[in-house]
Amino acid sequence: MSSLADTIHIENVVASSDLGQELALDQLATDLDGAEYNPEDFPGVVYRLQEPKSATLIFRSGKVVCTGAKSVDAVHDALEIVFDDLRELGIDVDSTPPVKVQNIVSSASLEQSLNLNAIAIGLGLEQIEYEPEQFPGLVYRLDDPDVVVLLFGSGKLVITGAAESADAQHALAHVNDRLTELGLLE
Amino acid sequence: MSDSTIRTYSSDQRQTDNDETVSTPDEDVLTCPECGGQVIDDEEHGESVCVDCGLVVEENGIDRGPEWRAFNSTEKDEKSRVGAPTTNMMHDKGLSTNIGWQDKDAYGNSLSSNQRQKMQRLRKWNERFRTRNSKERNLKQALGEIERMASALGLPKEVRETASVIYRRALSEDLLPGRSIEGVATAALYASARQLSTPRSIDEVANVSRIDEMEFKRTYRYIVRELSLEVAPADPAQYVPRFASDLDLPDEVERRSRELISNAQADGVTSGKSPVGLAAAAIYASSLLTNHKVTQSEVSEVTDVSEVTIRNRYQELLEATEAAA
Repeated sequence: MSSLADTIHIENVVASSDLGQELALDQLATDLDGAEYNPEDFPGVVYRLQEPKSATLIFRSGKVVCTGAKSVDAVHDALEIVFDDLRELGIDVDSTPPVKVQNIVSSASLEQSLNLNAIAIGLGLEQIEYEPEQFPGLVYRLDDPDVVVLLFGSGKLVITGAAESADAQHALAHVNDRLTELGLLE
Repeated sequence: MSDSTIRTYSSDQRQTDNDETVSTPDEDVLTCPECGGQVIDDEEHGESVCVDCGLVVEENGIDRGPEWRAFNSTEKDEKSRVGAPTTNMMHDKGLSTNIGWQDKDAYGNSLSSNQRQKMQRLRKWNERFRTRNSKERNLKQALGEIERMASALGLPKEVRETASVIYRRALSEDLLPGRSIEGVATAALYASARQLSTPRSIDEVANVSRIDEMEFKRTYRYIVRELSLEVAPADPAQYVPRFASDLDLPDEVERRSRELISNAQADGVTSGKSPVGLAAAAIYASSLLTNHKVTQSEVSEVTDVSEVTIRNRYQELLEATEAAA
């Protein structure tokens, strides 16, 4: 089991925060080095960092979303750096604005090929969604933890919608148990 | 399927008539008012009975089916009933009166101009009365749309009937607001074709529908989830006979295609692959194996699957068959 948990790899973490004040995005876009702002395409300023690699979206309302980070620590670091940069521009940012992790996307593997047809029937058609004509993966919605798991024929999984990194482990363990119970794993 | 749903629908209707504020119960499951057990229809005695405690929930049930088999003229007179059996394919189940358009009386004589005007007015009000509220007008349009698409796709009557039932459920569970009538009608038809093992591909259905493919797919996934329709994944073999006959290929090819597909399924290479693509490749491969060669582009034309997909699946099918041999 522990070997399976080793296959879990966090691919993306999304976190949000609030500066608590309205921002003049035009001004911000010119002052902030390397920021992109195309109000016709997207209403927010996109501010990309190389270290840790991430993109932060800053909106007029003062709400901030950071995406693309590879770990929960990295997303916090990235937001700290963004807040520091904003403070340098003279924007009055709290010392610790509340940061909330919204979504963690992980990949994992069961390390064997899967028969998705049998899994679809075995797991009960009301909990899953498997439309090979539309998408090659099987969508399995779990209630606890509240995540969505995509299972592919190769045995690879994508676990999304997690609020903390332990959710991915629980989900993988749950999927593994269910499939073993149904006799669908070798 | 359609038969039992007609029954539950009518009892459901009565309940909401009694108390408008009662929320619509799940239409497929009738539970016993005494013990909460499952209620089944006993067709022979015309009763609805609880399986657990034996309580008769409804007696003297009406058989709404046809009664057309008569072997001599007396029987014919005895068995004569007015009108056709009820059907879910019409918005009022075919129960309302139609006023003919001919302006003739029962003896076939033409009406006087005075009478004609009167009939014209009656016809107009009858038509307005038949569809009283927006839901009924909505249903009428949707069922017409289902009928149109089903005949364009050559789907049998059972599929239309089931599609109509699915649409009615969607309507009674208030899934329509925010979605187009055409979209839900298309999705209901696609789902019912899948449920009754006569699947049509998404492309085929989207071609005869008035809405675009993305909206259709989105609506389909939505109603399947909301109504818990439990549509099993389509079996590639279900597409084979139709494609084979569209290409004028003999039975031999069809049989060989089924073999190839079942080999591939046993080998486990079909997971996550489009069933339409697999069927197309199986047809192509078996046409080669049995010396009835069709080209990839001909197969591609008929099945709406790209030649690249056919080539890729073709390789996999042959490898799976070699592995099985």
